[in-house]
Amino acid sequence: MSGTAPTHGHSRTLFWAAAALSVLMFLPMAWVLVLSVTENEALSRGTEAAFSGPYTLKNYTDIAGNSGVFRWFANSLVVAVGQTIGVLILASLAGYAFGRLEWPGRRLVFVIVLFGLAVPEQAVIIPRHQIFSTLNLHNTYIALILPGLSLPFGVFLMTQFFRAIPPEIDEAAALDNASRWRIFWKVLLPLTLPAQATLGIFTFLFAWNDYWWPLISATDKDMYTLTVGIASSQVNFAQTEGLGFLAAQAVFAALPVLIVYIIFQKHVVTAVSGGAVK
Amino acid sequence: MSASIDIHHLTKRFGALTVLDDISLAIEDGEFVVFLGPSGCGKSTLLRMIAGLEAVNEGEIALGGRRIDTLPPGERGVAMVFQSYALYPHMTVRQNMAFGLENVGTPRDEIARRTDAAAKVLEIDHLLERKPQMLSGGQRQRVAIGRAIVKEPRAFLFDEPLSNLDAALRGRTRLELAQLHQRLGTTMIFVTHDQVEAMTLADRIVVMHDRRIEQIGTPMEIYQRPATKFVAGFVGAPAMSMLPLSGVTRGPLGARLEVAGVGHIDSAVTLPEGFATQGASIGIRAEDTRPDAGADTGADRGTGAGPDMNTGSNTGSGPNTGPGSLPLTVDVIERLGDRTLLHGHLPDGTVLVAQDTGRSQVAPGQVVPVGVDPHAVHVFDAAGRAHHAGEVR
Ligand SMILES: Nc1ncnc2c1ncn2[C@@H]1O[C@H](COP(=O)(O)OP(=O)(O)OP(=O)(O)O)[C@@H](O)[C@H]1O
Ligand SMILES: [Mg+2]
Repeated sequence: MSGTAPTHGHSRTLFWAAAALSVLMFLPMAWVLVLSVTENEALSRGTEAAFSGPYTLKNYTDIAGNSGVFRWFANSLVVAVGQTIGVLILASLAGYAFGRLEWPGRRLVFVIVLFGLAVPEQAVIIPRHQIFSTLNLHNTYIALILPGLSLPFGVFLMTQFFRAIPPEIDEAAALDNASRWRIFWKVLLPLTLPAQATLGIFTFLFAWNDYWWPLISATDKDMYTLTVGIASSQVNFAQTEGLGFLAAQAVFAALPVLIVYIIFQKHVVTAVSGGAVK
Repeated sequence: MSASIDIHHLTKRFGALTVLDDISLAIEDGEFVVFLGPSGCGKSTLLRMIAGLEAVNEGEIALGGRRIDTLPPGERGVAMVFQSYALYPHMTVRQNMAFGLENVGTPRDEIARRTDAAAKVLEIDHLLERKPQMLSGGQRQRVAIGRAIVKEPRAFLFDEPLSNLDAALRGRTRLELAQLHQRLGTTMIFVTHDQVEAMTLADRIVVMHDRRIEQIGTPMEIYQRPATKFVAGFVGAPAMSMLPLSGVTRGPLGARLEVAGVGHIDSAVTLPEGFATQGASIGIRAEDTRPDAGADTGADRGTGAGPDMNTGSNTGSGPNTGPGSLPLTVDVIERLGDRTLLHGHLPDGTVLVAQDTGRSQVAPGQVVPVGVDPHAVHVFDAAGRAHHAGEVR
């Protein structure tokens, strides 16, 4: 659909509808972008200053000087990357075990894992808090990363993917004298790359945007993730002061997500459309 | 390098379901053996047990005299070509072929040498850097065979490798497989339910049915002297006609076989004393019939139907067109060019297919007296065991 000129009446309608939606989606982002280069002083008198200026890059240079934004950015990066790698490893191994290996109790364990899909974070957040408190792990990367690793959806996705690979492929590899590990690593895992990409992107985005758990676990300013940090610097709830600076921080926070998206755009589209787009 | 395969009292169960029951089979070194049988009879299961992809419940498998049924697949020294080819989608053709050698630590230059040699033989050397998705079905099939060849296995196992190819390509590949076998001289087992593949490729055919081996023999043995009623009906096209046997008397050459309400057929079959006709049947192939349409069909037929007809003409005309004839009411005429098949029924309703010359003048509805070559008549007892006339001709 992208790029091709609409020819039929039907696809023309679709095109304009999609275009309108895109504009609608883009407007708030553009708004934040403009705010981020508008002087705080002017904005405090009224946000219409965004249309008139004066404009400045001071908000961005302020990020460098002020606050722990870089520290928070680094924290977010560690947490998001750590969680992504962890989820990919765990989900791949679990998916292989559920989708490929025969072992007693497999169905039961799989069902139990799937039940995890139905448990909302809110339901477990207090016991989780207490566990990490007891273990004295709050304000550590481990505390920020660990809960995100149990991702039933990831296990489910990888299981489905491993199941979809014809068993003859494993059998051929076994006849080719490949060890079980080699079959997993050299033959099956490369075939799950599309699923890995999908799962990786979602895990990364989710971890990057996560707010609630870091808010609870990281009480030390130095352990804030970017989401918590930015929220904490938002002292003025009327949002009349330092609005431009806040917007600049938001833009800065969104950058990695944007970069990840641009790099893996194709896979994100595939993931969202449920694999229908090949 | 090639090796014999010995299977002793092999039994396979999937849960409560027994799919192979006490199978014993000896395959000689360098032999081309075809497992033939209807869908679900356990051909693939038997092959997969030899490959090590299915566990053995009871019995033993030996390759080259060494027991292999407890070894993992990779250490058995066999290579398998799957019906679906099972190429590694993310590897190039070269990598596909090299993978098995890399796993056992074959030196790089040796891998390259073998891969190139196999690719050349299979005429896929220009495809070595492609991935399987960029290949046609026939090319994928060749890669799958190439992947087996480079391993220089002691036996090749093929599970219906031709069934995904179109008819023309299937015929060509069949021929190439035969040539490959001749060139390599390696033991090969080939699973199929296509009897043409079985007849053309096999040194020996193993006909399987209902968990058991029905018969093991050369293609001509299987065709001319089917051991059971099942084999007789399964091998050959059109299928052998089966007539109910109602009584046996002494005829001029052997048993005179009575068909109630139809007449009798003089056969050269010798039946044991006190043969029970209850549930027994007479098997007749279309090509062993002599429909007498009034035209001069006799001369043509002798040459058209092959050497097995010699005895028929040698023994004289007596039983062929005389009073031993079966009155066939022709229902459908099937023209095959070189011959014509007359599908019809006898007075008792039994269906019979007779074969006439290519220029047959018979019309539907016509009643044609059909003679039968007495030496090509088969009798099956109630248990399905066959009785044939004399020696293999
Ligand atoms: N993994 C399995 N679990 C249970 N039953 C099985 C399994 N594999 C095969 N069977 C059964 O074993 C029997 C033999 O199967 P097999 O695949 O060997 O047949 P086949 O002769 O190769 O048939 P086809 O010509 O259709 O390939 C069938 O009844 C099949 O349903
Ligand atoms: Mg099969």
